[in-house]
Amino acid sequence: MVDTQKFAKNLPEQPMGEGALQPGSVLQGRYRITGVIGVGGMGSVYQARDLRFPNVTRHVAVKEMLNLTSDQSVRELTLRTFERESDMLASLSHPAVPEIYDYFSNKDRAYLVMEYINGRDLEAIINSITEFLPIETVLQWALELCDVLGYLHLHEPEPIVFRDVKPSNIMIDQHGRLRLVDFGIAKTFQVGQKGTMIGTEGYSAPEQYRGEASPASDVYGVGATIHHLLTRRDPRLEPPFTFAERPIRDTNSAVSAELDATIMKALAFEVNERFPNAALMKEALEKLTKPSFVGFSRPSEEVADDLGEWGALEENEARIIWRFQCEDEVRSSPVVHRGVLYVGAYDNNLYAISISDGSFKWKYPTEEGISSSPAIAETENLVLFGSLDHLLYAVDSRVGQIAWTVPTQGSVQSSPAIAHGHVFFGSDDGNLYAVRLSTGRVQWKWAGGAPIRSRPLVTGENIVIGMESGDVVGLDLSGQMIWRFKAKRAVTSSPVEHDGLVFFGSMDWHVYALDITRGWKVWSYRTNKPVISSPAIGEGKLFVGSVDGSLHALDASSGKERWHFDTEGQITSSPAYADGAVYFGGIDGKVYSVEVKNGRARWQFETKSPVPSSPAVHDGVVYIGSMDHYIYALKA
Amino acid sequence: MDFLRRILGWSTGSETTPPKDDIIITQGDTEPASPPEPIIETPANAQPPAEASTTLAQAGEEEVSLDKAQTAPIMTPVAGTRQLPPLETVVPRPGQRLTFGQLSDIGMVRGNNQDAVFSIISSSISSDDLPDFGLFIVADGMGGHHDGEKASAITVRTIANYVTGNIFHALTQKQMDDEDRPTITDVLLSAVQKANEAVTDLIPEGGTTVTTTVIMGDRAYIAHVGDSRAYLINDEGIEQITRDHSLVQRLIELDQLTPEEAAEHPQRNVLYRAIGQNDNLDVDAITRRLLPRSCLLLCSDGLWNLIPEDVIRNVVSKHDNPQHACHELVDMANDRGGPDNITVIIVEIPG
Repeated sequence: MVDTQKFAKNLPEQPMGEGALQPGSVLQGRYRITGVIGVGGMGSVYQARDLRFPNVTRHVAVKEMLNLTSDQSVRELTLRTFERESDMLASLSHPAVPEIYDYFSNKDRAYLVMEYINGRDLEAIINSITEFLPIETVLQWALELCDVLGYLHLHEPEPIVFRDVKPSNIMIDQHGRLRLVDFGIAKTFQVGQKGTMIGTEGYSAPEQYRGEASPASDVYGVGATIHHLLTRRDPRLEPPFTFAERPIRDTNSAVSAELDATIMKALAFEVNERFPNAALMKEALEKLTKPSFVGFSRPSEEVADDLGEWGALEENEARIIWRFQCEDEVRSSPVVHRGVLYVGAYDNNLYAISISDGSFKWKYPTEEGISSSPAIAETENLVLFGSLDHLLYAVDSRVGQIAWTVPTQGSVQSSPAIAHGHVFFGSDDGNLYAVRLSTGRVQWKWAGGAPIRSRPLVTGENIVIGMESGDVVGLDLSGQMIWRFKAKRAVTSSPVEHDGLVFFGSMDWHVYALDITRGWKVWSYRTNKPVISSPAIGEGKLFVGSVDGSLHALDASSGKERWHFDTEGQITSSPAYADGAVYFGGIDGKVYSVEVKNGRARWQFETKSPVPSSPAVHDGVVYIGSMDHYIYALKA
Repeated sequence: MDFLRRILGWSTGSETTPPKDDIIITQGDTEPASPPEPIIETPANAQPPAEASTTLAQAGEEEVSLDKAQTAPIMTPVAGTRQLPPLETVVPRPGQRLTFGQLSDIGMVRGNNQDAVFSIISSSISSDDLPDFGLFIVADGMGGHHDGEKASAITVRTIANYVTGNIFHALTQKQMDDEDRPTITDVLLSAVQKANEAVTDLIPEGGTTVTTTVIMGDRAYIAHVGDSRAYLINDEGIEQITRDHSLVQRLIELDQLTPEEAAEHPQRNVLYRAIGQNDNLDVDAITRRLLPRSCLLLCSDGLWNLIPEDVIRNVVSKHDNPQHACHELVDMANDRGGPDNITVIIVEIPG
């Protein structure tokens, strides 16, 4: 309390004021004050000498509590509570609980006389160390702490809840034994504080802020204290209740996964996910200290694991609604329109497949492979796609008849964008083409000087294109350049727009956010490998895969990482967002569905080959191609 | 079809003879029943990329001549930790350029004003087409022995210095698109970190919140620590765009408290993050696009603790002059007891 709430506004400059006892003063004709042990908001703790033992120096601790309430009846109630709790404390018998000798009160103060403990509290110990404490030491303290709290929790007729488990309330005495020193009686005397303060209590369970405390709340306090001891990260300086995001092993790799898991269970946000009381937590900790027999390691869990794999296999098959086999790899991403899925394959064909049952409708053969993803021009009934044979094709989306083509001087790997009655696409010949949908006539082309393989972004006023030279260019709709941004390496990732920002990844390992009207760099985020995947946006987050193997979820407004999801291979597939989940393929051959809220896996589906294709999500179904030649329709 | 207005070379004419200078202007409801089909023309002066990049490089090298009085930006710095006199330096003309009002008041109870407030506006008209620039900061200090007001004063000063040096300077040098520049978000985060270092060094017992906004053109860039707030106010309503770093806010987010319970909670004033707390400060960054005629409001908890959001919105919407709105809001807070210092900045985006 002393340190964490140091910025209290509007408190009296010296809370104890002139009322503090001076050394030498004697209470009850028996306790001579010899020094101050601690000063808190409610009163002080003094060291005193018991004058009943004139021939030996017997020290006691005198805890003073100010009864500041001005209301007479409240004051009396406070005093009665104090007396009741002092009686209860005096009835306890446990080596870690200090002995109570006496209590008394006068005008505006109450005093509790108890055993003087010579030692240091855990807070002082943490502050004095520069290295991690030995794990065995911390584990031993944890066991002793759980032992005394377990004693309180199993107290009859009803459990005693300590309520305030934290390092400053735990002492290690001169014999190395753990002692609990503050039984929260002081809380009875707490008055409302005014003014803004920095620093939360840090160790208290969430339900305690609603005024609810149970033995499981103390368990949370044990977890928070041990977490602090093992990580040396003060929870009062972290956002409250963020232990789950900060596994102990992230900061202290010497801690075993089992110990980490045990402490994390104690720190569960939900009361019923913790150990119900400290005695049960002690049992769990004791298991960790016992050496396990070699060759005889917990058979029950292995059985469970085996069952899990069996279950996963069956679940894998159960997820398939249908699948459709092409003659070669599918790298292009499907698009769904009016019950039909369109997708290009390396077998040179563009396929039209019925989404209800995966039946073949028609295919259109080009001269070379199709790596670009098709686009639909709704009013013109066209499906548009580029081919490595240098052409952009416009094919009737209903029957698969060719409407027109646009020849370019290079492979068309860029996926087309449809807007304003035109199709926009790039070519390896270095040009961006704007083609009128109704006639197939090239309205203009803009010479970028480097291959354009990303899909152009076309908004109401701007066109943004990424190029293999690393340039990202903003054009107006007539093809005039407004701005140019240079990434350090190629931009194959297709830009997307949200709230006036344009987002894309680059082979230079970064994800960039630019102001779409001026091209200024608003934020950038560095992954650990090139970014080919195109970002998707949902719930204010930006999702993008990286060759580093992770799907990164960034705050679209700041570029801060919210979570990342690791796969076993690169991610070049572009994620798709739908209904609180994000879907993407991995080079590890899997299709993933991940919870947007927390980055946890919802499911994964195994194909036989890498999945660079990006999913289309439509009415609760995920459509995605794989290099195993199949197009899959999976339950979302 | 609103986008048509801005597009050069789009026309209603037939494809064979497109009239080159015809720009369609669609006005509100008078849009024709069947809008003419747009045509994208091949621009006569389409530039190859090499030329284009040269032009850009040349533009970047141009020296900015500061003695061109007619194009020099207007700078209006105003700072203070005490109650300020009504602003006479800025005569807002809403609808034409960025305008603002600001007020910081001691309230009815406190013995000193620990809040600090700082504003700059730059607006220019020239062929350089610099966007309007604004920097606005609210800080709410904490700590005895005048530490609170020192902490907030140092914070606004440090941030103002860093942001003008690293953003405003780059803007007037036309270096904003320099690829080696740190991002705008990074500059703002660094500015707050500098303030944290300064407060930690100079006022070890003091702390402060800070909510700071840079506005360039139609974008707001916000950096934020603590429980001062930024609101976005437009035709659709009022939206709190910062997140309080307070214990009760965290409990609300975790469904442990309702907002009503939080308002009465004994620990409602406890922050878990503030400037001057420790070396390792996590700062929130937010960027938002601002619609024409929308308002951005920054304030300390002395305002938002007392005045409900819808009342704030009504007051802001009612006044043409944002300075008048600031006065009314502060008066309302004082009428309701004014238990804390009250600070507010209102920025109006031209329409």
